[in-house]
Amino acid sequence: MKNGRFMVGLVGVAAIVTYLVWTGVSDTMVYYLTPQELMAKVADDPSFGSVGVKVSGRIVPGSHEEGQGELLHKFLVRDIEDETVTFPVEFRDVLPDTFNDSEGMPADVVVEGRFENGVFQANTVLTKCGSRYEAAPEQLQQASG
Amino acid sequence: MNVVGELALWIALPVAIWGMVFGFLGGRERRGDMVLSAERSVYVVFVLILMAALGVIDNFLADRFEYAYVANYSSLDLQTYFKVAGLWAGQTGSLLFWLLLLMFFSVLCVWQNRAKNREFMPWVVGILQGIATFFLVVLLFAGVNPFEKLGFTPVDGAGLNPQLQNYWMTIHPPTLYLGFTAFTIPFAFAMAALFNGRLDTRWIDVTRKWTLLSWFFLANGIIFGMRWAYEELGWGGYWFWDPVENASLLPWLTATAYLHSIQIQEKRGMLKVWNMGLVILTFLLTIFATFLTRSGLIDSVHSFAENTKIAFIFLSFMGSVLIAGTVLILWRLPKLQSENQIESFFSRESAFLFNNLILLAAAFAVLWGTLLPLISEAVTGDQISVGPPFFNRVNLPIGLVLLALMGIGPAIAWRRASGRNLKKNFLWPVVVGGATVAAFLVVGARHPMALATMGTSAFVMTIIVVEFWKGTSARARIGGENYATAFGQLVWRNRRRWGGYIVHVGVVLVFTAFAGKAWEVRIDQTLEPGETAEIPSPLGHTYSVTYDGMSTYQATPTQVQGNLAWQAQALLSVRIDGELVDRLTTEKRMYMAPQQAATEVGIHSVPLEDFYVILSDVADLQGAVAENDPEAQTATFTFLVNPLVGWIWAGGFVLTLGSLIALWPGTEVVRRSSESQGTTRTRSAQPEPAVAAD
Repeated sequence: MKNGRFMVGLVGVAAIVTYLVWTGVSDTMVYYLTPQELMAKVADDPSFGSVGVKVSGRIVPGSHEEGQGELLHKFLVRDIEDETVTFPVEFRDVLPDTFNDSEGMPADVVVEGRFENGVFQANTVLTKCGSRYEAAPEQLQQASG
Repeated sequence: MNVVGELALWIALPVAIWGMVFGFLGGRERRGDMVLSAERSVYVVFVLILMAALGVIDNFLADRFEYAYVANYSSLDLQTYFKVAGLWAGQTGSLLFWLLLLMFFSVLCVWQNRAKNREFMPWVVGILQGIATFFLVVLLFAGVNPFEKLGFTPVDGAGLNPQLQNYWMTIHPPTLYLGFTAFTIPFAFAMAALFNGRLDTRWIDVTRKWTLLSWFFLANGIIFGMRWAYEELGWGGYWFWDPVENASLLPWLTATAYLHSIQIQEKRGMLKVWNMGLVILTFLLTIFATFLTRSGLIDSVHSFAENTKIAFIFLSFMGSVLIAGTVLILWRLPKLQSENQIESFFSRESAFLFNNLILLAAAFAVLWGTLLPLISEAVTGDQISVGPPFFNRVNLPIGLVLLALMGIGPAIAWRRASGRNLKKNFLWPVVVGGATVAAFLVVGARHPMALATMGTSAFVMTIIVVEFWKGTSARARIGGENYATAFGQLVWRNRRRWGGYIVHVGVVLVFTAFAGKAWEVRIDQTLEPGETAEIPSPLGHTYSVTYDGMSTYQATPTQVQGNLAWQAQALLSVRIDGELVDRLTTEKRMYMAPQQAATEVGIHSVPLEDFYVILSDVADLQGAVAENDPEAQTATFTFLVNPLVGWIWAGGFVLTLGSLIALWPGTEVVRRSSESQGTTRTRSAQPEPAVAAD
């Protein structure tokens, strides 16, 4: 068997994997946006947010409300740069431990889900914060003062 | 000690450069004295880095919070154990730790080869010291010096993140790092072979055990990380396709490919360029993983704020390695010609080659998915991201083919498998695999991917068992040994091969466990103290879980327990058919330094499934803790039945056993006549007990 025939196998595997990756991306991809970008896109096309988006922002301090007895969390997320851009999020699952809406250091979060009728229905909420693994020097300064 | 430690880091840089320069120069000029000097520099750098690392640990133990690194990752009341582990708790320390492990392995390698493989050593030392130089430059000039001071002295440190205060988390990073750094040795030998032109299988033989050692640490490092996620993060899963998890998986995938493809080069003299490519790729991916873990290049639950300087240095280094490696391979292309061609689609070479393609395809898909936000932003300006659905969708079919090849590879003949060979070796395994699928269908299982995985796993296990049986019974028959002796001797006399098969058993267990996910049960329920929830298991029984009440604790100014501000612990009794099987607790707690909430889960493990409970929500935490008010203690629980999760840890154990057998030092008896009646031999082939061959 010549190596040429093997090239066929190689190309075959490459083609199948490319197909899997391609359809996988197009079927499951979400746009990863800032709240500002999300608002701009929704203003252009009101149905934009219903496909599934991922937005990275910061919790508005004190905005977290828990549903009594049921697993429902409501909170506001704002743009990290522009405080005036906010949107409400609803989430029906367990929040990560590092979720924090305190005045001192509200968590930065990535929410993924659908943005419909002005409310973000989140499927996942991830916290990402520098403070999680490393404290900011200012905080240490406060601690020392 | 701390001053000495920092000084040691600065002295190490010129010494490492010295070693790099004289290694290469000594190799080119064939000057034994230069090479010896370069080799000695490896010992010196190791001692210096060890001093620096001890300096960091000493800073932790002595609570010197004027050092930024200590202030960020420690506090006065942190346990000593975690203070020592502070060396690898954060970015700056882990880079130093990486370098320490690299130098440790370099010393081992130089010492091991003090009287042999001398033609490789100048280049090997030059390359190892080159890599050490790179890490020293990063440590000293990229703003990640662990001896950097704050400029003031906080009274207490910020404390170690409570989620990192876990047994698995203290051993997970070092294990991964051992895997990353151990792979540097095969890489250095491969490059040395390209430099000196000795491109037979010598460099592969010399580094085979290093590769296996690296692979073994990577596999265990990944499994420890899964265990940590499962027990500590409290979402009930063990793998999230997080960029950092993916980054650790990538070198494991390519190292697995490499471990298999070198066998083709050893036995058939093929795939020489491919193997060189895989070594370079795997090395680059270990560097990439180290870099991604701590750079914040991609949003991840692991990485933190961006440090662009470090990104630039790392990317330049990786780019240089890639270019240098490619140039060297092109230069040596005439010496890397294949000695043979693949003769048949139905052959072991072919199965191995497909295993390689599939592993690389998986690595590519994972890399693509991980880097997609960066790529899409560069191309379209919009960040596009994919998550677990993408990775599962692409990797499930790939994993399934890989699993099947794991069965086919060991049982198919080299060069060309006859129809008889195929029928003899695969008929029964296929029947057993099919029967397994049928059995699952009969009991009502319908999930197609899980069924396929179970069937394929049974197919592979049958092949492995039959291989062991054939080898053992042949020995018992020919040598007149009893079966236990025959089995022990069989494995011991060809540890590489049979150790490898035991590793395969471990991997099959892990794959089976993944398939178990399909039968996961999840129920969220709110209970008042005294109430009971019913959770059906896929195995047919039902768990009755009674919420017995809540045990609470709150720190008062006069009385503080450990680092806890408060704690709300739900007590649960788990019954099956009215019989108490376990008492579980799950809790929410708040730490004081750093101020952070944590959820602890309760797990009841039996071999076939885990019963896993998360305290998701408490109606009124304030009231529950402060007033100990039963009304306020109404709680929402997430109950999970996770089938087969324990098999991952069991698989990890089996895989470790197999790796240790294959790694065990000493020369193996190469058998020639009695067992290999092969049509399968070629000039370059190492005879092996080809019991499976026609």
